[in-house]
Amino acid sequence: MLVDVTQTVVDGLMVGGLYTTVALGITLVFGITGILNFAQGQLVMLGAYVAYFAAANGLGFWAGLGLAMLAMGALGLALERTLFRHTLGDPMAGLTVSLGLIMVIENLSAAAFTPDSRTLDPPLPGSIHLGALTFPSQRLLVLALAVLLVTAFRLFLQRTRYGKAIRAMGQNRIGAALAGIRISDVTSAVFIAGSALAGAAGVLYASLFAISPYMGATPLMKGFILTALGGLGSVPGAIAAGFLLGLAETFGSRYLSASFRDGYGFMVLIVTLLFFPNGLWGRRGKVRV
Amino acid sequence: MRRWALALRLLLLLPFALPGASAWADTVKLGLVGSTTGPHSGFDLPANEGVRMAVAELNGKGGIKVGGKSYTFQLVEEDAQSKPDFAASAAQRVLQDDDVHVVFGILTSGPGMAAATAFQRAKVLYVGGFTLMDTLLGKPGAELMFRALDADAVVAKPFIQASLQALPIKSIAIVLPNEDVSHEIANLYKPLLESAGVKVVATEFFQPDTTDYAPVLRKFQNQGIDGMLIGTTDPQAEAIVRQSVELGNLPRVFLYRGGSSAPALKYAHDITGFTWQILTRDLQASDDPSLADWKRRYEAFTHKQVSSQTYWALTFYDAVFMVADAMQKVGSVTDVKAIAAQLKGPRYQGVRTVGFDRDGRALSDFDVGILRDGKVSVVRATVQ
Repeated sequence: MLVDVTQTVVDGLMVGGLYTTVALGITLVFGITGILNFAQGQLVMLGAYVAYFAAANGLGFWAGLGLAMLAMGALGLALERTLFRHTLGDPMAGLTVSLGLIMVIENLSAAAFTPDSRTLDPPLPGSIHLGALTFPSQRLLVLALAVLLVTAFRLFLQRTRYGKAIRAMGQNRIGAALAGIRISDVTSAVFIAGSALAGAAGVLYASLFAISPYMGATPLMKGFILTALGGLGSVPGAIAAGFLLGLAETFGSRYLSASFRDGYGFMVLIVTLLFFPNGLWGRRGKVRV
Repeated sequence: MRRWALALRLLLLLPFALPGASAWADTVKLGLVGSTTGPHSGFDLPANEGVRMAVAELNGKGGIKVGGKSYTFQLVEEDAQSKPDFAASAAQRVLQDDDVHVVFGILTSGPGMAAATAFQRAKVLYVGGFTLMDTLLGKPGAELMFRALDADAVVAKPFIQASLQALPIKSIAIVLPNEDVSHEIANLYKPLLESAGVKVVATEFFQPDTTDYAPVLRKFQNQGIDGMLIGTTDPQAEAIVRQSVELGNLPRVFLYRGGSSAPALKYAHDITGFTWQILTRDLQASDDPSLADWKRRYEAFTHKQVSSQTYWALTFYDAVFMVADAMQKVGSVTDVKAIAAQLKGPRYQGVRTVGFDRDGRALSDFDVGILRDGKVSVVRATVQ
C-alpha cells in the first residue's frame, strides 16, 4: 500500500508540475496586465510542435526545449506588440483578442500540421527501480524540469531587476511608472516569460503525451483553475495550487473513479474558495506576483 | 426591340448548345457533411476524400444513365466543425438545396447525431458512419438511414475469436473512456470474452480527455492480468500502450477496439501482442493485391501518401457507387425510398464487401490486424 501511495504521489507531483508551468504564464500576464490570456494553451501546443519538429530533424529533445522556449517567447513578444498592447486597460478587449487567437492558431495549426496526433520519443525511455518502487524515467525527468523551471522563474522574480520591476508593477502600475520603471518594456518581458514557460510546458507535455493542434484546451483549463485556486495573479499561489491539483486528480483517479478526474480539481477549487474567497495566496483587492 | 428579344432567347438557350451541356443540365447533387476542421477532422477529412474520389471516378466514366438520361454527380459540401450545433447548421445548409436527396458523411457521434436528426426530418437518404447511429437505425422514421460501418455487435465476436486465436490470454481488464458508446462496448464484449474462456477482472472507465493514464493503469499493476481491451481512438490507445510499458508490471497484450496499428508499432518489441479491427480495409499491412490499385488511385487523386488514417477514406467510397448503382436499377435519382430499398439488397463487391440489413446496418467484411513478436499480419473476418 505504501509503495502504491508513494508512486501515486510522484505521479501527482509530475502532473502538478506540468499544470504549474502553464499556470505561471497565465497568472503572471494577468497579474501585470489584467488580461486573462486564453491563447496560452495554444502556445503550449505550438511549443510541443516546435519540439516535435526539432526532434524529427535530428536536433533532439534538449535543443527542442530551448527552441520551443525561444520561439514561444518571440511569439509572445509579437502578440504583445501587435495585439495585446492595444488592449491594455481594457481587460474585456484583451480577453476577446485571446479568444480569437485560439481559433486562428488552432485552425492554422490543423491546416499546417494536419489534425493527426503525433508523439515525441522521450529522451529518457525505460524505468527506474528503487526497491519495490518503479518510476518511469521520463516522468521523473519531467517532474525535475518542471520544478527547475518553477524555481528559476521564482528566482527571476525575486532576485533580478526585471523581476523586481514586474513585482512592482503587479502591486501598483502607476506607482511603478512614477518610480522610473519602463512599463511597456516590463509588459513585453512578462509576455516573453509567460509565453516561454508555455513553450516549455508544451515540450514537457509532448515528451509524455500525444500532441495535436487541439491539445491546448486541457492545459489551458487547468491553468485557469490554478490561477483562481492560487489567487488571481499570485505566483506562489499558482505553484502551490498546481501541485495540489495534480495530487487531487491523481489520488482521486487512482483510489476513487478515473471518470471523474476533472471533478476532483473542481471540488478542491470550490472548497478552497469557500474558505479562501481570494484563493490560497490571494489578497483582497490586490494582485501579487 | 425584336432583336433584343431574339438575343435574350439565344442567351438563354446558349448553355444547352455548349459541349457538355447535358451534363450541366442533368446533375445529381449529393450532400457531404463532415468535420473538416476541429478535433474530429482526423476521421472526416479522409472519409470525405473517399466520397470525392468515388464521385470523380463515377463522373470520369461519364456518370450514370437513368431513364435514358445521363447524369453526373456534384457534391454539396459543408463543414460540421466537430461540434453538434455546427453540424446541425451544416446539415441545414445542405438541405436548403432542394436538389439534394442523398447525403454522406460524419464519423463521430456528437456531430453525427445532431446532423442525422436534421436529415431524418428532411426525409433524405443519409449514409453516415458514427457509432451512435446504431441507436437510431431500425426505429420508425429511420428507414432512409444507413450506417456504412459495422456495428460493434457485428464485429465483436469475430474480432475476439481472431484475437484470442493469435494471442491466447486467460484474464483481461477493460479500459475505456467514460462515454455512452464505451458502456455499450463493455456490455457487449464482457460476456463474449467470458464465453470465450477469458476472465474479465475489471472494467475501468476514464475521463474521455485523459492524457495521463498512470492512476488508471496502476489499478491493474501486479494483478496477474494478461491483457487489456482498450479504445477507442489511436491517441488514447497509444498513450495506454506507452504508459503501460513505462509503468511496468502491466499486461503486454492489447485488444484494441479501434482501427489501426499506429498505437502499437513503436512499442512492437516492448509488448507481447496487439490486435485491432479495421472496419474498412487495412491499407498498410494487408497484402491483398486488389488494394494496391485503389491505393495508387487514392495517392494520384489526393496527392497524399497512404497513412495510418487513410482507411477511413473507404468508409463511404463503395457506398457512393452503391447509391449510383441503385439509382440506375430503380430508374430514378430522386425516389429515395426505392433507392433505399435497393441498397438493402445483395451485397456490393467493391474495395470492401458492403451490404446493409433491413434496418440499414452495415454487414461488411472487415480486417483484423495482429501484431505479434514484432510482426504484423492481417486476417479477413467475414460477417454473415
